[in-house]
Amino acid sequence: MSILSMCQWLQDTSIGTSIRESIWVFPIIETTHVLGLSISVGLLLVSDLRLMGFIMKKRPASEVYEQIKPWMFLGFAIMVVSGIFLFWCQAVKAYNSIFFKTKVILLVVAAINAIAFERGIYRKIEKWDNALVPPMEARVAGWASLILWAAIITCGRTMAYTF
Amino acid sequence: MQEIIPFFQWCDDTAVAQAIRNSRVAFPVIENFHLFALTVLLGSIVVLCLRQFGLILKNQTISEVATALRPWNRWGLAVMLTSGILLFLSEAMKCYGNTSFRIKMLFLFAALLFQFTIYNRIVKNEGVTAPLGGKIAAGIALCLWFGVGLAGRAIGFLG
Repeated sequence: MSILSMCQWLQDTSIGTSIRESIWVFPIIETTHVLGLSISVGLLLVSDLRLMGFIMKKRPASEVYEQIKPWMFLGFAIMVVSGIFLFWCQAVKAYNSIFFKTKVILLVVAAINAIAFERGIYRKIEKWDNALVPPMEARVAGWASLILWAAIITCGRTMAYTF
Repeated sequence: MQEIIPFFQWCDDTAVAQAIRNSRVAFPVIENFHLFALTVLLGSIVVLCLRQFGLILKNQTISEVATALRPWNRWGLAVMLTSGILLFLSEAMKCYGNTSFRIKMLFLFAALLFQFTIYNRIVKNEGVTAPLGGKIAAGIALCLWFGVGLAGRAIGFLG
């Protein structure tokens, strides 16, 4: 079965069809996805700004990161769940959209960047935890994260214009 | 409210409005910046309110968190208002008849008024824990700003 026919099957399921054809469910899920940005990327922004050495410099970088992390993950959980339902009901359009494909690739790159940070420079946190400006590797991770998420938001918004 | 129609018509006819309407990319690009600013503005408010509820960044006082986030809050707001005004100009007459737009404006004025008269003063003086009044103010601020976002999204969906 090709990916396209899987997408067709997915959006023809009763859940996909009922979300697509509902008056209220689709707008509610879509609004949750948009406003969820403030909790997911909004919190990520604060954590990344600390990594880049811009805010909360008097507090250890690990403290800011660990305090924000659970709420940020809650935000991303909201984004993933609402995003899956949005994809579910419009899978074929998404599959045919260059912006959606780009968005998925960028999401994978953002995940790799986050894992590389956790497995890399964050393992040596005790050496730079109190540094006013974290080492280059941490700052690059912060910049990369923000640029990637700005691009992900752009792709997400733009794909909706082409639907 | 009919007496303000000429103002909306004037907005709709401005050169800026026409330029945005005549461009294929202007509206999406401006709306994209509106979304970036939503992330920064609402994000900074969410973090500060969570701090007031005692759920996040507990080793910093509330006023410290507020000070650290203030420039981001202000820049988010500035970009939000600028991009929002441009979006409004380009479809001012559509907005006039749109109930969600009217509700959004009510929420926006209430949110701005509450933030700049009461909320900012409250967080400036709060230390390690927020008193009940501070927590209530945080709840009101969250409801008002998310009300703006909710009504904003409804402009396109409900009319």
